[in-house]
Amino acid sequence: MVKSTTRRVTISGTALLLCLGLVTAGSSIVSAGAAVKKTPGVTAKQITIGATEPETGIAASGYNQVAKAADAVFKYVNARGGIYGRKIKYVIKDDCYGTPGFGCTGVPNTATQTHSLLGLPVFATVGSLGTPTQDTVRALLKGDDVPQLFVASGSQDWNNPHQYPGLFGWQPSYNEESKIFAKYIKATFPSANVCFLGQGDDFGTDGLAGLIAGGVTPSDEQLYSVGALVTSNGASIAPYIQRFETDKCTIVVLDSIPGATDAALGAALQLGYSPQWVISSVGSDPQTVDAPFVGKVPTDPEQGAITFSYLPTTTTSSPWIPWIYKVIKADPADFPGFTSSSVLNGNIAYGAAYGVAFVEALKATGKNLTRAAFLHTLQTTVFSQTPSLVPLSYTNSNHQGLNGGYLTTVISDSATKPITGTVYTTDSSSTGPVTVAKKLSSGIPAWLK
Amino acid sequence: MKLGDVRQRSAVSLAVIIVATIVALLIAPTTRNGVAIAIALDVAVACLATLTFPGLRSSHPVVARAALSLLGVVAVLFVAFFLPSASDFNLATGAAMSIVLLGLSFLTGASGQISLGNSAFMGVGAFTMAIWANHHATTPIFVTLLISVVAGALVGLLLGLPATRLRGPYLAGMTLAFAVAFTAILGEFSSWTGGDSGLQLPTEAKPPHWLISLFHSGTSPLTTSTLWLTDISIVVAGVAFFFMANLFASRTGRAMRLIRDNDVAAELVGISLPRARVIAFVVSSAYAALGGALWTLIDNSVSPPTYSFALSVTILSLIVIGGIGTISGALIGGVIYAYSTNVISWIVNQTGLNPQGNFASQLNGIIFGGLLILTMLFAPLGIAGAVRHFWHRARNRS
Amino acid sequence: MDAFLTSRIIADVLGGLTNGVIYGMVALSLVLIWRSTGVLNFAQGAMPMFATYVGFALLSYHFGYWLCAVAALIVGLAVGGLTERLVVRGLYGKPEINPIVVMVGFLIVLEAVAAAIWSSFPRSLPSPFSSIDWQLGGHPVSLSPFTVYEIGAAIVVMLAVAALFRFTNLGLQLRASALAPEVSRLLGVRVGRLLTLGWMLSTAVGVVTTILVSSNFFTGLTPQVNDGIFAFGFIAAAVGGLESPVGAIVAGVSLGIILQFVQDYLNSNAQIIVALVVLIVALMVRPNGVFTKSSLRRV
Repeated sequence: MVKSTTRRVTISGTALLLCLGLVTAGSSIVSAGAAVKKTPGVTAKQITIGATEPETGIAASGYNQVAKAADAVFKYVNARGGIYGRKIKYVIKDDCYGTPGFGCTGVPNTATQTHSLLGLPVFATVGSLGTPTQDTVRALLKGDDVPQLFVASGSQDWNNPHQYPGLFGWQPSYNEESKIFAKYIKATFPSANVCFLGQGDDFGTDGLAGLIAGGVTPSDEQLYSVGALVTSNGASIAPYIQRFETDKCTIVVLDSIPGATDAALGAALQLGYSPQWVISSVGSDPQTVDAPFVGKVPTDPEQGAITFSYLPTTTTSSPWIPWIYKVIKADPADFPGFTSSSVLNGNIAYGAAYGVAFVEALKATGKNLTRAAFLHTLQTTVFSQTPSLVPLSYTNSNHQGLNGGYLTTVISDSATKPITGTVYTTDSSSTGPVTVAKKLSSGIPAWLK
Repeated sequence: MKLGDVRQRSAVSLAVIIVATIVALLIAPTTRNGVAIAIALDVAVACLATLTFPGLRSSHPVVARAALSLLGVVAVLFVAFFLPSASDFNLATGAAMSIVLLGLSFLTGASGQISLGNSAFMGVGAFTMAIWANHHATTPIFVTLLISVVAGALVGLLLGLPATRLRGPYLAGMTLAFAVAFTAILGEFSSWTGGDSGLQLPTEAKPPHWLISLFHSGTSPLTTSTLWLTDISIVVAGVAFFFMANLFASRTGRAMRLIRDNDVAAELVGISLPRARVIAFVVSSAYAALGGALWTLIDNSVSPPTYSFALSVTILSLIVIGGIGTISGALIGGVIYAYSTNVISWIVNQTGLNPQGNFASQLNGIIFGGLLILTMLFAPLGIAGAVRHFWHRARNRS
Repeated sequence: MDAFLTSRIIADVLGGLTNGVIYGMVALSLVLIWRSTGVLNFAQGAMPMFATYVGFALLSYHFGYWLCAVAALIVGLAVGGLTERLVVRGLYGKPEINPIVVMVGFLIVLEAVAAAIWSSFPRSLPSPFSSIDWQLGGHPVSLSPFTVYEIGAAIVVMLAVAALFRFTNLGLQLRASALAPEVSRLLGVRVGRLLTLGWMLSTAVGVVTTILVSSNFFTGLTPQVNDGIFAFGFIAAAVGGLESPVGAIVAGVSLGIILQFVQDYLNSNAQIIVALVVLIVALMVRPNGVFTKSSLRRV
């Protein structure tokens, strides 16, 4: 009967709730004193770190190799016993560059992925990619005291030690890169008509500011939107190039991601316009950029473009190049079919370089690994034996990272070559000068060879 | 129904409420999170007991619905308390999504209009929340949420007015165009919307002191803002569901359903078609804006690419799978949204696929799209509809 | 008017025409399916994309561009036909929302499967003609051998379809099957076959569009290549009227040209906003599309 069923349900429901309450009360009292202070993500045998990367979507082409290269370095170190007996586990989560769309149906956003990393837990995030994506999780990571290390972006947002003591960048800032570009342009093309096209966020605005601070004021400055780039399949860039062609600019500076660089080069080709291209390291990797043009035009449209590099190019004799080849070849899970004749592109070099930086910092911290000890080591040690051209150092008032590199030209669809080989260094202020770097990196540490 | 039975049952229910309150007061001082748990238990028991008041459903349906909503909210809050932070985050996101689904369920199911523009209305709410918070940081959260809802309703009115004359595919087309144009509009006003980078909320949401003091020990779990935001989302969802349930059952709701089934008859009965359609549009856009504002709160930031047309497709898919035109469908859709990634990662782990490989990264889309097609072909009323169908068949048999 | 302004206007018209014929073809495919089966095909971009991927997978076996294009067309016909038979058949007579949702689901699945098999990395398709603009007096004229090929192919396809619909017996049967299936059956028309044919034709037109768009210089073939175009094509179809193939073509071309001017004088973002405004205005004036004849229905 309906009436008695309702009564039965009520009584049993109430009883269940009361039981739940008592159990909760009991367990709360018991577990009150159980918490032990341990470093999250660190055990005697393992260090767990995480990162959010664009594995799918518009930014994935090229960028999805960055974290995999770092992972290859960690696997190499693990195969040799790890750091003080601890193996590194690198958990990579896809956040689709924070631009969910049909290419990434159902891919959770950066905040969700970061939350799931924190739940693992992780010792730190290392090498997460993207400016807007990492900006959104700064507060979350700070609130949980999780270090946000080596963010893969040149924004100056990572240099804020006062507000975010656990947040560190790694690559030179967009500002620094542009100042070095400006010095070269002023010296080599003193009376040129310069035009600028940059991405509509920090990348473009910081880059433009650096150009102006370095003494080069473009006659035409434009910013493009990533959203429009994606929806128009690149056609949104063409009008800007058309403007530059009408303005008769002889030098075009691009602060663009590879997809936008492609669109710009293609538009110029269509118009029969060939300025001297100066392209940010972010979007100039020859293999990535030339891919759409292969077989369609006789010469690679990027050939002769000037770009910037803070890592040794494959045409130089740095010992890191064969070392990286060795490490990548030993990781067929991340890089299937990679051989000595495969191209070592900029993305792979980037990932390997910050991977090396991380393991060296771990080693320098010592066996007793806590977050505080690690951050202290990071801010008081100069790492002069990593793949980057200049040593990596942070202080408790500067968390930006590398601050120097040399200018290179694109010589083929897979390689760049240094123009003079002189390594310049500067800072992100508008007045700091660009000078020749006095201290350079010095080879591979013995324990890594 | 004999009078004696009614009095007996009411007495029993009342007694249960009193007993529960006494037990709660006894438990309170001894648990670590005492007073809060005690209150939660007491409220839950009171709701249950209220529901068993004889004849409540037919004589005071609003009270019955309120009791049911409150019970649901308390139960979920209780569970959220013990979940790890990542799960709470998913729960909060899912709760906000279920509010949006509720609005679309009403619009499409109850009034028969197809809208593909909900992502844009979510975006309106999301950005209103962020822009307002950045300019008036001291406004209480609930007031800012209300402002976002009003903004969403206004935009819904703007779009709903021209939409009243449109039928089927043309309405779909216009809402599609709006959804696609929305990100471009955000880009045009980049000084307000932060361009490609989006906006961040100026301060992290923190629970008020009087609430923290309801917990005994020093390290109150409520100081993690994730749990606090999850609680806000659940409470707001409960309120939203309560209002919708009443709307469904009201005259306006019945009028909408009549329009959906037979608009000629509706006109003959004297229902103003354009007015009803606009109301439905405004309600659905207000709900969508509320969901979007909650997302901004939960993520502590907002970015334009999130509110693209693809999100509208996700919303439509979720409510179709959950059950269009129903309230429980919105709930089911919210749960699916909250936990689908976990399920899919589990599937990837079980089948031994390479998690970084092409196939695994597209599994979300394949399963989602496939479910959508299968649901529409074989169970067009979604999970809620299918359950109801089987329930009726089981009842009819016995 | 000075020479620069004239050349700018001509460049915009030509550029707009190039985009407009693409929008026109998409709109035409949508109208084809709507008129023959009453379904709004949200997967109109994804189905031909998938067929193009399959067809051009033959490139790795050293087949040339034209052979791959033909292969893609054939696969497109098959995809269209199979979709109608297996997926859409069960949806006739059901509420309007059902086919919309199913096609949306199909869109998601197709894009996901394409990305799973071939990855989202843009694939470069060879172009049979150079994309470099001709120059007139030192200024590029927004016209290259490739754009001439593109516009030419689009016009041929659109005229062929329109002619088929209006002037042939087959077209008559197609329209009859959609309008009055029972009567048509009684008159001996194989209604089922014709519905399938409508979908096959529409997908084939879509394949032509996809190949033209992805042979472009720097964009290449990705699973999402048709998404943006679909939105504009849909708007064109709605403005022109879902019942009118001619309306679809005219609306598509006009929209393309208008938006090119918008892009030139304003910016890229403004394009979709203007398109939305055009749509709202058009539908407020004529809620069933500009070219729809609301009173008489001609068979």
